[in-house]
Amino acid sequence: MLEFHGACKRFGDVAALDGCTFAARPGRLTGFLGPNGAGKTTAMRAAFRLVELDGGSVTWRGHPVGDGDRVHFGYMPEERGLYPRMRVRDQLLYLGRLCGRTAPQVAGTVDALLDRLGVGDRANDRVDALSHGNQQRVQLIAALVNEPDLLVLDEPFSGLDPLAMGVMAGLLSDLAAAGATVLFSSHQLDLVADLCEDVVIIDHGRVVLTGALDEIRAAVPDRFVDVRFTGPAPEWAQLTGVEVLESTDGHVRLRADSRADAGSLLSRVGRETRIVALSFAPPTLSELFRRVVTP
Amino acid sequence: MSNLRAAWLVATREMRERSRSSTFRISLAITLVVVVAMIVLPELLLGAARTTDIGVSGATPGGLPAAVQTQAAGVGLTARLHEYPTRGAGEDAVRKGQVDVLVVDGRQLEWPRAADERLKAVVTGAIQVVAISERAAAAGISPGELATVMQPVAVTNVELSAVAGRSSADQTATVVMTGLLLVVMSTYGALVLTGVVEEKSSRVVEVLLARISPRALLAGKVLGIGLLGLAQVGVMALAALIAGTAMGSLDIATLRPAVLVWLVIWFVIGYAMYAMLYGALGALASRPEDAQSSVAPTSMLMVASYFAAFFLIAQPDSVAARVLSFFPATAPMMMPGRLAMGSPGWWEPVLAAVIAVAAIGLLVQVGGRLYATAVLHSGPKLSLRDTWRTALTAPHSPTRGFRLHAGNVWARATRRTTMHRNESSYRWTVTALMAIGVALGVVVGVVTADVIIGVIAGAGFIALTVQTFNLWTGHGGPAPSGS
Repeated sequence: MLEFHGACKRFGDVAALDGCTFAARPGRLTGFLGPNGAGKTTAMRAAFRLVELDGGSVTWRGHPVGDGDRVHFGYMPEERGLYPRMRVRDQLLYLGRLCGRTAPQVAGTVDALLDRLGVGDRANDRVDALSHGNQQRVQLIAALVNEPDLLVLDEPFSGLDPLAMGVMAGLLSDLAAAGATVLFSSHQLDLVADLCEDVVIIDHGRVVLTGALDEIRAAVPDRFVDVRFTGPAPEWAQLTGVEVLESTDGHVRLRADSRADAGSLLSRVGRETRIVALSFAPPTLSELFRRVVTP
Repeated sequence: MSNLRAAWLVATREMRERSRSSTFRISLAITLVVVVAMIVLPELLLGAARTTDIGVSGATPGGLPAAVQTQAAGVGLTARLHEYPTRGAGEDAVRKGQVDVLVVDGRQLEWPRAADERLKAVVTGAIQVVAISERAAAAGISPGELATVMQPVAVTNVELSAVAGRSSADQTATVVMTGLLLVVMSTYGALVLTGVVEEKSSRVVEVLLARISPRALLAGKVLGIGLLGLAQVGVMALAALIAGTAMGSLDIATLRPAVLVWLVIWFVIGYAMYAMLYGALGALASRPEDAQSSVAPTSMLMVASYFAAFFLIAQPDSVAARVLSFFPATAPMMMPGRLAMGSPGWWEPVLAAVIAVAAIGLLVQVGGRLYATAVLHSGPKLSLRDTWRTALTAPHSPTRGFRLHAGNVWARATRRTTMHRNESSYRWTVTALMAIGVALGVVVGVVTADVIIGVIAGAGFIALTVQTFNLWTGHGGPAPSGS
């Protein structure tokens, strides 16, 4: 488990982290969310001691992160970086050996990952000869060369095509399922909602929402009802206990209380109206995000 | 993983990747060819010049050919004689360049151009010897008696060098070696510099520093490039040795073994010290364009210590030479010269080396911190002052209490400067430094009675101090931080 305890870091007059406290649990994918400049990158760097905190601490399995821990971590920084003129496989072997693993151990991991991510045939090319997407894949492998216990990825999905996103998502899920702690930041909230068990949302260096996504959503008192229909529109506004958020021809979006009964709600829709699609759900992650983050 | 093991991994990567690049291989091949050519070509050209062709025609005294051969051998020439039946045929041969000189009737020398003095002396001498032998025989003096009379006095030649007991060959060898040291230090120091800036601008440094310490990364880089450089210099020296031995022109006897060993030691120390400085200061730059200005003061210091060594080699036991040979930044250039030309006690180079190694240890600590602070910073070029302050006040610093205090005092002292009189104080300081430099130049010029040395000292002082001040305040360069 990776834990932040009141982490603080100032750059001049700007507080990048301002008492940031949260945890990322093993065996789960944790989405790390926040608007630009919220302090996500600084927090991730702090986990690797790439920035020295002004206050608070970051612990791994209960003790402050040390050099002995870092070699079991994998990191994909936001600003991607590899030696452009070094060959792909040589570079990955080098990075793996920097984690204290022997050459044969690293070679096995690297070759398997190169094949899994479909860049096995580019192993002996220089990095700068690869397409952007392939460089991203190599960058991901660079974070995985030591089969890390903790994987921290800063915007791993940015710049990926939908296919590559699928591969990345599958890989992250597999790693978490195998017991790794995975923390990644993203602005693609729908993707995070699909993928992550846990979320952490920070704003202005403070955690504004954290926990298991299902529990957070269940705990929110609001439910949203989306109805697509044909035929005459009922008088939605006269229904009790609901609020009309949006109403267009053939679609309405209502807000109801979490204790509201969806069945009784529907019974009040007139016979003339045919329902095409219906959903009764707690707020989406995007809605939660907009609610907790101050513009 | 230990820092040592990490540094070694970094070093082996540097060596493998760099020795694999085609630029490295081509430059190594070219330097090898140049080194061998510099040794072999003069020998081949001089070898050709050591043979001379002499034509004879008309009434030639019987002993002349043999006498010419003897005289020529005396000055290291091989003479080949060609007889021509007529004077006209001989003159033709002169004009066609087939012979260097034509001897007519044993008493007239005909040249293609102005007479070659050495050859003239050889042939004239031979003619005199033959004439004397003939006259002696006519006067009834036996060849044995003649030989006794003509017995030459052995004359020895002594070359007086600037320093008693050391030949001028010693001096040349030392100057060449110090120059080579300068070239090696700046070449491989520049490789460390560009390596650091490349890692920073390609952002790979963040991936590396998530795994190993900045100190291991910097030290490993310096070590790897240094070992590669040492190997390259070694290959060149070996090629020079083989070529020189093969051509029979090598004279290593002038350098004593102890001097040679010390030279290698100072090579290593000098390189390590300046490469560390280059690496730590290079991290201040975010772009390759800024890198040169970051290390300008260091480069100047290196060149200045070379010139100091060059000028002081004639007075190896002077106070100035002694002081500079113990100062870490100038010792690598100064001490080899003193060892070769002067007579320092055995403890002097040892003590200087210990001081220099201690300075390198300090540099690894301080430079490593500067590097760690600067290398993850992107954006405009950093000023050394800001980096230094950040590095000093970092919480993990071992002497935090003292440094925090020093940093605060310093911050308070400089905040006033930066806020209220930033631009004008900068101009004033630069003007003051220039005035001091001019005064220094005038004083040095008057004291040494040498205008050039005065100009070098004054201009060197101004360049060094103004560049250092620019680096400290972050002034100069295309994008000042503006804060």
